[in-house]
Amino acid sequence: MATTASVERGTMARAGGRLADREGALGMLFLAPSVIYIVALVGFPFVLAILFSFSDVTVGDTSLDFVGLRNFRSILASPQFVRGLQDSFVFTIISQILIIALANVLAVVMAENFRGKWLARMLVILPWATPIALGTLGWLWLLDSKFSPFDWILQQVGILGPGGLFGPRLHMNFLGREYLAMASAIVVYVWRTLPLSTVILMAGLTSIPQDIVDQAQVDGASYLRTHLRVKIPMIYPILIIALLFGVIFTFTDMVVIYVLTRGGPVYYTHVVPTWAYIKGIQGGALSEGAAVALFLFPVLLGVAMLLLRVARRMEIS
Amino acid sequence: MAVVETEGLKKYFDDVHAVDGVDLAIQEGELLVILGPSGCGKTTLMRMIAGLEKPTAGEISIGGEQVTQLPPRDRKIGMVFQSYALYPHMTVFDNIAFPLRSEGVFTKEEIKSKVEWAVGILGIQLLLKRRPRQLSGGERQRVALARALVKEPRVLLLDEPLSNLDAKLRASARDELQRFQRRLGITTIFVTHDQIEAMGMGDRIAVMYAGKVRQIGTPLEIYHDSEDTFVATFLGSPGMNLVDYGDYILGFRPENFHPHDGAEVPPGNRVFDFSVERVEYLGADRLVYGMINEASEETLVVAKLPTTVKTSVEPGQQYPFALDVGDLHYFDKETGRRTTPVEQR
Repeated sequence: MATTASVERGTMARAGGRLADREGALGMLFLAPSVIYIVALVGFPFVLAILFSFSDVTVGDTSLDFVGLRNFRSILASPQFVRGLQDSFVFTIISQILIIALANVLAVVMAENFRGKWLARMLVILPWATPIALGTLGWLWLLDSKFSPFDWILQQVGILGPGGLFGPRLHMNFLGREYLAMASAIVVYVWRTLPLSTVILMAGLTSIPQDIVDQAQVDGASYLRTHLRVKIPMIYPILIIALLFGVIFTFTDMVVIYVLTRGGPVYYTHVVPTWAYIKGIQGGALSEGAAVALFLFPVLLGVAMLLLRVARRMEIS
Repeated sequence: MAVVETEGLKKYFDDVHAVDGVDLAIQEGELLVILGPSGCGKTTLMRMIAGLEKPTAGEISIGGEQVTQLPPRDRKIGMVFQSYALYPHMTVFDNIAFPLRSEGVFTKEEIKSKVEWAVGILGIQLLLKRRPRQLSGGERQRVALARALVKEPRVLLLDEPLSNLDAKLRASARDELQRFQRRLGITTIFVTHDQIEAMGMGDRIAVMYAGKVRQIGTPLEIYHDSEDTFVATFLGSPGMNLVDYGDYILGFRPENFHPHDGAEVPPGNRVFDFSVERVEYLGADRLVYGMINEASEETLVVAKLPTTVKTSVEPGQQYPFALDVGDLHYFDKETGRRTTPVEQR
C-alpha cells in the first residue's frame, strides 16, 4: 500500500518535471512569440503614436511637449486632410462594393468544373501573389499619360482622337485628372484584392452541402435564385468576414495610391494613410502625421465591432 | 397506368456502371421500395428520376410524359433527402413556401393557404416560426415532407428518410410515413438499404445489386420466391442458408430449420445431422450456428429458433434438425438463378 503510493507520487513528480507535460508553461511558451511580436511591433508604436499626436514632436525636435488637441484641430483645418478623409471613404466603399460583386461572380465560375480550371484558378490568384509594388508599377505603365496601351486601343476604335467621343484629345491621361485618377486607383486596387475575397467566398460556397443545392433544384429554383436565396444567405457570416478584412485592408492601404499617383494630381487622390505618410514621414511633422494616422483607428474599430456582431447574429448552426 | 416508367436506364461514371439497364414501372398510388446494399446504384437511380443526374442511356417518363431531358423543376416531383436538406437560414414556413415561391405564379394568400394545407397534413402547425436547428430529427423529417408535398407532386421521392432517426423513433416514423402515404394515395419511391423498412412499407420491392434490378415483387414474393441467390441471402436476418448440392445450390431459411424430437419423420420432411458450434441469444430468438454434411461437404448454416422452441441446444453437440422440403429452394449453380426442383425426397 505504502509502496504503491510512493511509486505513484514518483511518477507524478517526474511527469510534472517535464516541460512537455505542463500545459500551463507550454501554453505560455507557445503564446510568447506572438505576444512579444504584437507588443513590440504593434502595441509600442501605437502607444507612441497616441503620445505623439498630443505633442509637438517633429523630426527636428524630439522632445515630447503636451499640446492637447492642437494637432487634431490643425489637421481638420487643412483641406488636404478633409479631402483625404472623404477619398478614403470613397476609395474603400466603392472598391468593396465592386470586389464583393465581382468576387461572387468569380467564385461561382471557379467552383464549377471545366477544362483548364487549374490554369484559371492560378490566373485568378496571380494579382494577389504578385508583390504590390510590382503589380502597381505594371499598371503605372498601362495608365501612362503618353504611352498607355488603353489610349492606343481607344484611338483605334475611334473613341479617342478627332471625331471621337471625348473630342480631338489623343490621351485619356488616366492618372492626371481629378476623378479619373481616383477611378483608376480603385480599378487597380480591385484588381489587386479581388483574389482574396474570391478565395474566401469560394471556400464558403464549396462548404455548402450538395444536398441543399440539389434540393433547391428539385424545389424548382433557378440557378440565380439558388445562388441569391440559398447559397449567399448560407455564407453570410463568411461574406461579412471577407468584407471586414476588405474594409480594414483598404482603409489602411497606401501602396497602390502612393505608387500610382503619390496623391496627385494636386492632392486629389490622397487617402488618409498617404497623407499621414507625406505629413509625418516626408514632411517631418511627426505629431501631425500621428494625429492623421490615428484618425483611422476609431473608424476601423467601429466597423470591425459592427461587422463581427452582424456575423455572429447570422451564424447558422 | 404507370406514373413513373424507366426504360433501359443506364448511368456510367467512367467505367463504373452505377446503374446498368433498369426497367421499372411504378403504378398510381403505389409505394415502391428500391432496396439494395450501399453502392448498388439505388441512389443514382433515384437521382436520375429526380433529374439531378443525366442518364448515360435510357428513357424516363413521369405521368406519361417524357422527362429524360427535363430539369428537376419541370418534372412535378417532390423529394426528401437523407439529410432532409432544410434551408438552415429560413424558418419552417419559408422552407415549405420555397418551392411555391420559386414558381413565381402564386399570390401571397395562395402560398399561405397551401403551406397551411401541407403543415396540417403533417401536424406541424406549431413549428412554422422556428428554424431548422431548433427542431428534432422527427420534426425536421416532417418539415422536409411538407416541403416535398406542397406543390402536390405526381411522385414523391424519398432517399433513406428514416436513417437519420434513432432506432426507437424509426419504428414509429415508419408506421406514420406509411399511413400518411396510404391516406394521400401519393405515388412514392422509397430508397433504402434496410430490409425491415422495405418489407414493412413497400407495396412492392425492387431489389437492386450491382446496378441491376434483381427482382421486383411484393415483400412476400421476394422473400418466399427469391429469384436468385443474391436476393435470397440479402433478405431475412440472417439470410437464406445455401448448400452446394450437385449441379444445384440448395437454399432454406433459418427459421424453417428446427430441431427434430427424434420421433418418426413426418412426411415431406428431411432430417440433417446438425453439429452445433455456437448459440446466440437475441431475446425473442436463438440463432444456432453449425455444420451440416450434405453431399459429403461440410457447410455452415444457421437455424433461427423462436423462444417457443424449448429444446436445449448446446455448442459441441450434434442434433437432428428437420426441414420441410416445401421450404427448400433450388438455384442453378452457374447463374445463381432460381430453378425447378429436380427431386422430392
